[in-house]
Amino acid sequence: MTGCLRRISAVAGNTFLEAVRQKVFAVLLVFALVLIGGANYFTEFSFQEQFKFLKDLGYAAISLTGLLVGLLGAAQLIPGEIEKRTILTALCRPLRRWEFVVGKYFGLTAYLALMVVVMALAVWGVLGWKEGQLLRAEGLDPEAAAAIRAEAMDPRLLQAVLLVGAKLAVVAALAVFFSTIATSTTFVMAMTLLVYLIGHLQSVAREQWLEAGEVSRWTVRIFLAVVALLVPDFNLYNLIDEIVAGNVVVWRTTLEVVGYSGVYIGVLLAAAACMFEGRDI
Amino acid sequence: MGWFRGRVLALEGLEMEVQKGEVFGLLGPNGSGKSTAMKMILGLLRPTSGSAEVCGFRAGTISARRQIGFLPENPYFPVFLSGAELVRYYGRLSGLGGAGLEKRVKELLELVRLGGEAGKRPLRTYSKGMLQRAGLAGALVGDPEILMLDEPTAGVDPGGSREIRDLILELKARGKTVIFSSHLLEQVEDVADRVIILHRGKKLREGRLEDLLTRKNEWEVKVQGLPEGDRQELLAWLKKKGGQVVREGAPRERLEDYFLRSLPEETRR
Amino acid sequence: MKPIATLAGALVLLLVWGGAKIPWEKAMARDQRKATYGFSGPTTVAIREKVGQGLALAALGGFRGLAANALMLQAHGAWEEQQWVRVRSALELATMLQPRVAVFWDTASWHLAWNAAVAAERYSGESSETKRKMEARRWVEAGRDLLERGTKAVPEKALLFQRLGDLYWQRLGDYQEAARCYREALSKGDAPPYLERFVGYALEKAGDKQGALDYFKNLRREMGDAPSQARRPEVVEREITRLEKEAAEKRVRKMK
Repeated sequence: MTGCLRRISAVAGNTFLEAVRQKVFAVLLVFALVLIGGANYFTEFSFQEQFKFLKDLGYAAISLTGLLVGLLGAAQLIPGEIEKRTILTALCRPLRRWEFVVGKYFGLTAYLALMVVVMALAVWGVLGWKEGQLLRAEGLDPEAAAAIRAEAMDPRLLQAVLLVGAKLAVVAALAVFFSTIATSTTFVMAMTLLVYLIGHLQSVAREQWLEAGEVSRWTVRIFLAVVALLVPDFNLYNLIDEIVAGNVVVWRTTLEVVGYSGVYIGVLLAAAACMFEGRDI
Repeated sequence: MGWFRGRVLALEGLEMEVQKGEVFGLLGPNGSGKSTAMKMILGLLRPTSGSAEVCGFRAGTISARRQIGFLPENPYFPVFLSGAELVRYYGRLSGLGGAGLEKRVKELLELVRLGGEAGKRPLRTYSKGMLQRAGLAGALVGDPEILMLDEPTAGVDPGGSREIRDLILELKARGKTVIFSSHLLEQVEDVADRVIILHRGKKLREGRLEDLLTRKNEWEVKVQGLPEGDRQELLAWLKKKGGQVVREGAPRERLEDYFLRSLPEETRR
Repeated sequence: MKPIATLAGALVLLLVWGGAKIPWEKAMARDQRKATYGFSGPTTVAIREKVGQGLALAALGGFRGLAANALMLQAHGAWEEQQWVRVRSALELATMLQPRVAVFWDTASWHLAWNAAVAAERYSGESSETKRKMEARRWVEAGRDLLERGTKAVPEKALLFQRLGDLYWQRLGDYQEAARCYREALSKGDAPPYLERFVGYALEKAGDKQGALDYFKNLRREMGDAPSQARRPEVVEREITRLEKEAAEKRVRKMK
């Protein structure tokens, strides 16, 4: 058992280290931070709108950077290692294939988590800075000041960050799954991106499929069924928009989505490990 | 997995057995199936038919792999690691950890002469020979019974080659079994006890080097300080006795030995 | 394991989970819709039809907020150029993309019912005053319709009901409706404390002085003996005194 954990953590640690030492990701992070910082520029709007812009841009920066890192990183994971043949020096050891897959995933996710936390702190910092700026501008009206403070230091932002992270973790699991069948990094990135986009339409496909009356052609029905069955519903994470809009989202709903992500990741990793088991290296 | 792709039979009807404690050479030109054979022993590839056993375990199982330390052909290591980090990583992959692993990492780096500062540098600054030695340390970290080295000297300069050869002999002295492949036949000569020669996936020859290479009906003497007159006399005598002189003249040194001899003493190792 | 077996295994695993996840996803989507008052956003088809390609992609790729913000910026730019039709369409789209963002409805209705209407009335270059007034009225009504929709999209907040009341009061002169909207806003719990007096003012403006007096009296009673200062009981008392005095004077005039 300790041996198993040790091996998984060795793969994870090595993957994490590789990601940390890659310059591309550092550049992406800097880009995201600049974007988050630059969001201060709309000042002609009401403070509610200014905060909404900041938050939207902040989450978009986190999501987009995370998506890119997840795609690039996961594509590197297995096809990259096969290309570089480093995988041989790992898989020839007393290491189970699934341990390798799980370790790779955890290494990547740990890196993603680190990036999300850094970017979330940047968003938080920019919101705080905006708060100060607006408080100076609005003078001392206590009611307005309280409203500004509530917008800037909204504890619901934690829920939003959690949801962004969960969504990215699912995307990373998808990428790992595809990387166990792929031989090229482009294939992994293209497939993952495709599923990511379809995932936002999955709810439509699901409803159309379940309401049998609307679609009669069986080819279309099969297509809808495949999308509904195999693709995650990324619209569930749109709760983030609700949070940014300043509306109430209860923790139970948030945690349910996080739980859904967790189960999904588990299934994807199990399927990935299964595929990888039969693969010739 | 070869979906939609043609398959090539890489290896056919290979039967071989390696004894404990011997140095075994797999010889053959590129594409003759040496790497494929090794990958099958490790379970990285699945044979379409047939089986292999390692120390009594089915090849490819965890227990079988625990017995083997492998150094693949032209390995590309995670170059962002240092030599010590590489060996530590491979140790952890083999399920080791803690102070025991640290001690082992230090020992192995000493063994492959990458101790001290060299072990702390990132791998991307290493020469090919250093990389190969670091890889060897990595292969040894799990203390395997068997070492399997795929083209360990390919692309390595003569000095580096010599070092790797010395290491193989040292490991043999420690009781390890070494299986290695090469397409450079003269390198095999110095170290291998037994060889198998592959060609296009089929076995051509197998046996002890002494048996394979010794020309039993020939006899050789090397002589120093014999005057020219006596030499002529000796040749005539040999002819009279019915011997046929196959080769005669000043022996030539192998270029590799000459090269190594011309290096200053301290850089030879 | 044979490659084909592992492939089949992975596929079966994914399909079994797929079958299990669908009811879960359905339930979660329903819960979320309930929590967002049925306004989880427009269908993707509607977005594709109405929004440009780039924005649709952003909206469909999970960046709906960004797309809506871009539209709000567009509206702002069009406002600076006094391009009212463009202002309106950008606002309509932004509120369609993110109907749950109360400030969008607020800003949008302000642009239409105030900015556009005033521009139409004063700076349109139309010579006939009647036509100018009619045009202005149309913009005000567009703003009102927008806010009506907004109150349905964000029914749990006071803000849009309050704005609708303001619009009825300041732009349409319909004080009864304004009072009704303010009452509705007050029932939401997050209305600012000064709004409760506005119901009385609106009733008085509507000519219902007795109604206003009753309202203020009722309000004062409801505050109890130790009202919070934020509710300004002294203002309510002052209004009661004033309205009572006016009523008394009116009675006196009638008797004469």
